[in-house]
Amino acid sequence: MLSEFFQYDFMKNVVLAILIITPLFALLGTMIVTRKMAFFSDALGHSALTGIAVGLVCGVEDTDISMILFAIVFALLLNYISGKMASSTDTIISVFASCSTAIGLSILSKGGNFSKYSSLLVGDILSITTKEILYLVVIFAVTLVFWIFAYNFMEAAGISRTLAKSKGIPVTVIENIFAVLVACIVTLSIKWVGILLINALLILPAAAAKNISVNVRDYHLFALIFSVFSGLVGLFVSYFTNVATGPMIVIVASAIYFVTFLLGRKMEG
Amino acid sequence: MKNKYTIISIMLIFIALVAYSLTTAYMTKNKATEKDNLTVVTSFYPVYIAALNVMDGAEGVTLENLSEPQTGCIHDYQLTPADMKLLETADVFLINGGGIEGFLSDVTEGAYSMEVVAVTDGIEFLEEEDETNAHVWMDIDNYLKEVENIRDIMSDIDKDNAALYEKNASEYIESLEELKTERDELKTQIESKGGVSAALLQESFEYFADMLGIEVVYTMDLDEERQISAGEVADTMSAVNDGNASMVLTDELYGAELAETVSGETGVAVCTINPCVRGEYEKNSYIEAMRQNLENVATLLK
Repeated sequence: MLSEFFQYDFMKNVVLAILIITPLFALLGTMIVTRKMAFFSDALGHSALTGIAVGLVCGVEDTDISMILFAIVFALLLNYISGKMASSTDTIISVFASCSTAIGLSILSKGGNFSKYSSLLVGDILSITTKEILYLVVIFAVTLVFWIFAYNFMEAAGISRTLAKSKGIPVTVIENIFAVLVACIVTLSIKWVGILLINALLILPAAAAKNISVNVRDYHLFALIFSVFSGLVGLFVSYFTNVATGPMIVIVASAIYFVTFLLGRKMEG
Repeated sequence: MKNKYTIISIMLIFIALVAYSLTTAYMTKNKATEKDNLTVVTSFYPVYIAALNVMDGAEGVTLENLSEPQTGCIHDYQLTPADMKLLETADVFLINGGGIEGFLSDVTEGAYSMEVVAVTDGIEFLEEEDETNAHVWMDIDNYLKEVENIRDIMSDIDKDNAALYEKNASEYIESLEELKTERDELKTQIESKGGVSAALLQESFEYFADMLGIEVVYTMDLDEERQISAGEVADTMSAVNDGNASMVLTDELYGAELAETVSGETGVAVCTINPCVRGEYEKNSYIEAMRQNLENVATLLK
């Protein structure tokens, strides 16, 4: 069965991409879950549509670039405003996300052309090219560096921003860098994972790991294992059953989440 | 707590096993047919039905369709892993052409060895505003030409079965000719009424209207993933009113509600037309669908 799995070239690319994307998502996911930013990354995914639309209006040839730029601006703006405003962050994020999605949809669906972009909703990991895999490797390296240097700071700021600031940690800068990083990764992966499911891939492995971890080391280890595991198993099943790959990966990740949820409660009890 | 790692490993192994066994169960259920000498893949439903009629019973030949029979029109179709696998094994890939297979660039960029042949050679496409309308099969004459093309293409590639292809094709063409007679009767009926005009809720119906001599007052291209604006609905209605259209042609799935709305506002009759892009894998499904289409129009003329 395995030899059949690898008999075609495109599958090698896909497996490689999954081996890069899933650990990357796991790392980011742990930070997102710790910082309670699940909704934030979801909103970023939706802003990808607007990014493409804005790119089209401005006549940018490579919509990847307009998408990333827009996501970065969007992320920084969100960070800024949610720091200033009195109402709760999730309301602000929701307002921003719905507004940008509506703008994106209205521009893209003009003249009934939305179907051209509908592949973004579900994603298509099978069409990944070698060049795009290289991009992923670069982002992976950057994320790794950020994670190694900033994880403790992020954790400290997560417990108490005021305390972290008083210890001389540049909380705002780190938060902004993190937001930009999430923005880049989410928008770049949209093409392969799809707007509807990208957040699931970010959040589920980390959330499952959190169910059963008592310390930070376990938390990361499990998130990593769950993420890579669901990626590979999902791809395997989708390959042989003719089901879209993204949703299958999310189904496996969800299964892990529910099992760990029960396990975690057992361990406590 | 070492115990935890064991539990997690067991959990992962368990999930992997469940996934594996479900997959194998699925695969045994859908066991692939044995390796044949020649694998022909069609891109979607109408091409498949035409090819099925020509190639039925050919020895050493497997005919497969790329998309599922319920996919519908394939402008926005995305290849699945199974499609890619299928194409890797294909020797011949029969397509409609005219740009309707939007995924084709993905296919040609990939390293596939099969021959890609369009079955619409020699058919004149309707053009409007630089856009090619490739839904040629909605005109029976074009469809018949497709059948002849497939016969020629396949006889060329697979000489051993050439006689069979010839026999199958002429049988099928005979039934298509019968269908054409019915169509001509309807056409005469329409002419005797001094012509009929209609609004179309799908691009593919232009061929259908063209073949019957129905005058088209407005075409709205509704399909699987289309979002429409209020302005377009209003345009349709004013076109119906201005052009004195007596019917609006719509697909059963997409646009039926819109057709009801238009009908309610303007009083035109709704005529359901099957675009012949989905259905069962039956040899006579095209003929049945088209015959029903003709009957639906005829009923409204009474």
